[in-house]
Amino acid sequence: MKVKAKLKNGVIKVKAMAKHEMSTFNMMEKKTGNREDANFITHITGTINGETVLDLSTSQFLSKNPIFKFELKGDTFKKGDKLLLSWVDRKGGTGKGKGKIK
Amino acid sequence: MERRNFLNVTLGALALAVVPASVKAQDYRATKPAVWSAHTVDDALKAMYGTTDLVMEGVSLTAPDVASNGGAIPVDFSTDLDIKSIAVYQDANPEAAVCAYTTTKYSINKYSIKIKMGKSGTITIVAEGNDGKLYAAKKTLDVALGGCEG
Repeated sequence: MKVKAKLKNGVIKVKAMAKHEMSTFNMMEKKTGNREDANFITHITGTINGETVLDLSTSQFLSKNPIFKFELKGDTFKKGDKLLLSWVDRKGGTGKGKGKIK
Repeated sequence: MERRNFLNVTLGALALAVVPASVKAQDYRATKPAVWSAHTVDDALKAMYGTTDLVMEGVSLTAPDVASNGGAIPVDFSTDLDIKSIAVYQDANPEAAVCAYTTTKYSINKYSIKIKMGKSGTITIVAEGNDGKLYAAKKTLDVALGGCEG
């Protein structure tokens, strides 16, 4: 997972990309004949210094390799702090990434 | 029957008491599974919030009028309201829910995300205010090439 975080004028702008197929039920039914083969990220969390800053529940309708952006209040954090993002998918797989706040 | 009711009420009260008073981040996948299997936006809203009454103000939503690729439609949304969650729904796919953010005390509530839509439809953003109201914005768009492979 790629994570970019930039602190400017008290606002942390975050851009992240998770590498994931994000296959839907219908897609897998066509491909393998089994709807249950569908696999997609179901939950993404983000922390800085142990504080939760992002909590996102997701479905199969995010794009493949989903890119997402969000913004945080920057007053509690400083440049050099690390933003950790991690995801869980429907089959129990996990992924994570981190980025230094620049 | 009465005894059973009593138990239900007591257990419910206990469960409420365990949840801390502060708004805590939660996994809506685990706590509200029905939202994710709902086929219509209304059903998803009912499962998520218990109501479908939306106030169409306070939320801004930007999405293209025509999406050439339904596999990755950029959706930007934001709000300045005091909210506890913000979620994305659409009516073009088999299920309605796309994603739901629980806000944290660090959130500015300005998000961009790319979503899939199988055909033309309407995107609905719902921000759950701390005042109990549901603020929303909608945008109908044409999808030239469906993003869910049919």
